Amino acid sequence: MILVGELSLWVAVLMAGWSATVSFAGGGLRRPDLVASGERALYAAAAFVVLAAAGLWTALLTHDFSFKYVASFTSANLPKAYTISAFWGGQAGSMLFWCLILGIYSALAVATSRRANRELIPYVTGTLAVVLLFFLMTTALGANPYERLDFIPPDGRGMNPQLQNPGMAIHPPNLYLGLVATTVPFAFAVAALITRRLDAEWLGAVRRWALVSWFFLTIGITLGMWWAYVELGWGGYWAWDPVENASLLPWLTGTAFLHSIMIQEKRGMLRKWNVTLVITTFLLSILGTFITRSGIIQSVHSFAQSPVGNWFAGFLVLATIVSAYLVSTRLHDLEATASLESMVSREAAFLYNNLVLVGMAFSVLWGTLFPIISEAVKGNKITVGAPFFNQVNVPLGLLLLLLTGVGPLIAWRRASVSNLKRQFAAPALAGVAVGALLFALGMRNAYALVSYTLAGFVLATIAQEFAKGVGARHRMYGESLPMALVRLVARNRRRYGGYVVHLGIVVLFCGFAGNAFKKEVDVTLRTGESYAATDPFGHEWTFTSQGVSEYEALNRFVTAVVLETTRDGKPAGLITSEKRQHVDSRGVPTFEPSTEVGLRESINMDIYVVLAGVTGEDQAELRIAFNPLVWWVWFGGAIMALGGLIVMWPQAQRRGMQSGYAAVLEPQHDPAEHAGVER
Amino acid sequence: MGAAMDRRRFLTSAAVLCASAAGSTRLLAQGTSMDGDGYLPVRLPPKPGAAPSMTSNERDALERQIACPCPCTLDIFTCRTSMPCGFSPNLHRDVMALVEGGYSGDEIMHAFTEVYGEHILMAPKREGFNLVGYVAPFAAIGTGALAILMMLRRWRRDGGDQPTPATVDGVDATDDELARLDAAVRGDGR
Repeated sequence: MILVGELSLWVAVLMAGWSATVSFAGGGLRRPDLVASGERALYAAAAFVVLAAAGLWTALLTHDFSFKYVASFTSANLPKAYTISAFWGGQAGSMLFWCLILGIYSALAVATSRRANRELIPYVTGTLAVVLLFFLMTTALGANPYERLDFIPPDGRGMNPQLQNPGMAIHPPNLYLGLVATTVPFAFAVAALITRRLDAEWLGAVRRWALVSWFFLTIGITLGMWWAYVELGWGGYWAWDPVENASLLPWLTGTAFLHSIMIQEKRGMLRKWNVTLVITTFLLSILGTFITRSGIIQSVHSFAQSPVGNWFAGFLVLATIVSAYLVSTRLHDLEATASLESMVSREAAFLYNNLVLVGMAFSVLWGTLFPIISEAVKGNKITVGAPFFNQVNVPLGLLLLLLTGVGPLIAWRRASVSNLKRQFAAPALAGVAVGALLFALGMRNAYALVSYTLAGFVLATIAQEFAKGVGARHRMYGESLPMALVRLVARNRRRYGGYVVHLGIVVLFCGFAGNAFKKEVDVTLRTGESYAATDPFGHEWTFTSQGVSEYEALNRFVTAVVLETTRDGKPAGLITSEKRQHVDSRGVPTFEPSTEVGLRESINMDIYVVLAGVTGEDQAELRIAFNPLVWWVWFGGAIMALGGLIVMWPQAQRRGMQSGYAAVLEPQHDPAEHAGVER
Repeated sequence: MGAAMDRRRFLTSAAVLCASAAGSTRLLAQGTSMDGDGYLPVRLPPKPGAAPSMTSNERDALERQIACPCPCTLDIFTCRTSMPCGFSPNLHRDVMALVEGGYSGDEIMHAFTEVYGEHILMAPKREGFNLVGYVAPFAAIGTGALAILMMLRRWRRDGGDQPTPATVDGVDATDDELARLDAAVRGDGR
């Protein structure tokens, strides 16, 4: 199987090359036989990539240490789950994993779109094949997981202990599923530009795949934050690390696209902008991969410096030039068919939303690259850390939160004063009430106050929309309120799924704002000694050391401290924090010691304990942190993903017209939502 | 680029882009390792009759402004308890010694910059070329906002006379009226 896999990688290269060549030739020469051959070759390439992946998994699971990759990232005593996840734990394996996802996505995209997009499909196939060919060539020549060692070591080096975490086992695949999915919209955009078929035809498929990308990126980023929080032990979940930023960039532009595409669908506007966003999102995902894999920017996440960085740089430049050429020579075909009528309209609100999202993407990219730019200009290094990013992105984030509430409620074309009053009076009141209440309760942090005020406003807009829709169905069809809610969402998944995503954003921002009240302290405790502290909610806590213990586990030596805690004098359980020294099967240390955080989670606050070290026999050096509302960040991410799933879920074709006046005025919408729900 | 760009102009621009990209790749920076090999002590003699210049909370806040030279991208306060880092525990000890020696926050930051360069600051100083870094995001967003404004004005000037078709938003009816209308058009009496 391993040999089959090794050979399959090279066969996949040939298949992708053939597919790219004959697909473009078939499209240009209008030869259906060549086009069909290109499609079949792409399916074959995908199948051979699957075989190549199966071969590597076999090598990992059978501990074949003759392969450098297997010996570098696994050991005989590595738990099986992590042996499987070692596939994407290193540079070469993760490259093959990227190829695997891209191969499957490409085959799926072509198979599901070949009938509906006959004119585009040769170029879609060709573009997908070119990108797949690039990744396969980079894997085969630049970072081949099938590279063999001159000798067979008795055991492997093992996996970095910080990667031995369930979050890390599932976070990268989700991120890759999101990043790779940006290739499909890019391929459709290229095909539409080449064929000059820039009407709404290409948007259907693009939107689906853009949603797939957004969905997996949302899950991947949230899981990445969770992993950083529970595993790295620095007490936070987002450090504006270049690699974190690299995953955020395509999410920001992808989110902008999912909003602006609505304007093109409804009004035929922003066509240049949308095609640019699709291309930019793909290029940013490649740029992110370049940053991660080239070692050009300092990051704890980065793979070691390797020649694949040069491959990515070349591909990025080439893709940018080709895309820019295609867009710049098709500007006439991308003229809008309608124009904006008012600055107070949903179109305008979506434009502002795009401005903020793309502005955030620019500022994140700028901050990430500024150390390089500064070194090029001034010749000396600088650090661009969290203070810089927060200064720009916190106000922009709050502006985005405000627009999250404004956009969906404001009318298309031109909002009247009565529309604005009707839609925004109650939510604005709710927001102000939340802000005033928190101020009265003693909250004085300006950013947090603004965050919660805006969160109250947006939450009220969402509640108002659901209440109107459910109420209308209840009155019109006599449905019970729960049934009306289910049918309201089910019959207009795109709209109400979008509101669920917005609800997730609100919860997420509440979690972010909780960070303003974080408290942390360094203490040293001997066995039996206690430390007392007051949390941000005013509760009194004590932490009493139960002593330091040392023991061996499966593949590590563990030093642990156990703290007994009380909250307002009542027992609140034990918290254990560990330092782990991982070893190979011969007991030889493999990596630097890692931290296992002691965590007591609850909906309003986490207690986060890090064992920094042990001095003497039993003197534990600890950092204890009270982290308010962190759980809301995970919950917000989950709600956003759920909303994305609702939006993506296929809508069954309904019999006949759904509703008379709704069909006449706006055919795509549910009758109930128009009965009292502003659009 | 008001109209479609011709091929020659495009290729010229692309060549310039490639040339600048090729030039800039030589300047890419490399990070340090986590083993603390490049650690340089930041030490000054205590001031005469020195007393601690700040509280432990203030010292923690100061440490949050000092970047750890390891690849963690964190400050030394955050890094030192979480990462297997050879820098941050030593730099923390240096900060503690300087605080005990009576040095103010500004003096301590200056001492660190003298030894490690500007790279040791979590955010660059707001001076000289660094200002470009701080201003550029806002300038870009401002330019974008201006572009939207100009586009809106142009669109309104060009298309202001277009009739506005009826939309649901334009229907100023009660819920019951809309429900009756819905039932009537559907014809199913519901």
